[in-house]
Amino acid sequence: MYVVLVYDMEADRTQKMLRLSRRYLTHVQNSVLEGEISAGDLEELRGHIEALLKDGESVVLYELSSDSLLNRTVYGEDPTEDSRFI
Amino acid sequence: MDRNYHVFSDGRIERKDDTLRVVTDDGEKKHIPIEHAEAVFLHGQIDYNTRLIGFLNDHGVAAHVFGWNDRYSGSLMPERGQTSGRTLVEQVRAYDDPDHRRDLAASFVAGSIHNMRANVTYYNGRGHDLSRVITDLDNASERISSGMRVEELLGVEATARRAYYQTFDAVLPEAFALEGREYNPPPNPVNSLISFGNALVYANCVSAIRATALDPAVSYLHEPGERRYSLSLDLADLFKPLLADRVLFRLVNRKQITTDDFRQEVGACLLTEDGRTTYTRAFEETLEETVEHPNLKRKVSYQYLLRLEAYKLKKHLVAGEPYEPFKKWW
Repeated sequence: MYVVLVYDMEADRTQKMLRLSRRYLTHVQNSVLEGEISAGDLEELRGHIEALLKDGESVVLYELSSDSLLNRTVYGEDPTEDSRFI
Repeated sequence: MDRNYHVFSDGRIERKDDTLRVVTDDGEKKHIPIEHAEAVFLHGQIDYNTRLIGFLNDHGVAAHVFGWNDRYSGSLMPERGQTSGRTLVEQVRAYDDPDHRRDLAASFVAGSIHNMRANVTYYNGRGHDLSRVITDLDNASERISSGMRVEELLGVEATARRAYYQTFDAVLPEAFALEGREYNPPPNPVNSLISFGNALVYANCVSAIRATALDPAVSYLHEPGERRYSLSLDLADLFKPLLADRVLFRLVNRKQITTDDFRQEVGACLLTEDGRTTYTRAFEETLEETVEHPNLKRKVSYQYLLRLEAYKLKKHLVAGEPYEPFKKWW
């Protein structure tokens, strides 16, 4: 499945969420990541997120059953393009 | 299914923030989501340290290393998640039993000829007259008999492959004449593409075999005991026509790869970095393509077909189920 993840953390804790979600997804902008993820990995990620969050912080996960359902327009450079060819 | 990541740049690959990071010589930093990685393919000049190896190992991710002209030069394999003395014993027993080994070798040859034929049939229906090649392949296929020695089977395979290579000259434009298969080093663009594609198939088969408890060095059609993972050669033969050759035909005929994507060195014709990237991208897309599997009753990716092949072989050796080699069914 394909997910878009956005987060809002206390200023000095944003790195923590970025580090965590980078293990699963591609970082596209400040506080935004997206990518293909398996159901199992998504469950795992959810668990980590819940453990990490403090009061007043939030994470929003948008799930799609596949990236073909997502109508995605990028202006400027696309950070996910060719992310598997470095 | 997890993905392959390819590093073409020169630089360094390291563990950073609990995931993989590539720092290129230009100072660019790119992260690879470790939880989504099947293997990393290192094509450039890359530095790494032991911390990285431990990290890859923890996540069961292989690193396949390519050297000059992108020849496969080895793999950093994760410690075996699967260890099974019984499987290994059965695998070696089958090798040691002349009849059993011959049967397996014959299956591999029959499967590869079938899959070569599938390519030829496709192009035969598209304005090329390849009926002679088809007849040659059918003849080769019919020659496979239970009384054959492994060397004879290898001969049948070689004859079939020679006939099959005529397809390349018929289907590809003149600038991409094959003029016979040659490698070490490849003398012209087509040979160079075939070698690169075969190396990718081979490395992916190494990953697939590693997912089982099978030992990649004990093989049936190819003679084990050399430096290569010869079981991977056995499996790769089945998939080369489907993966490497189809990608090659498609890219060249659509002019996505042209003679500009190659440079000549002394006696060798090498793909440029652009050319390699184009080819690898198409190759990875192909690995992700899916087909409906008649027995599993669901869609599986081509990459998963490699895995299935290793599982089938293991099941055959351990549980005695008949081994049916992969034959393109669609």
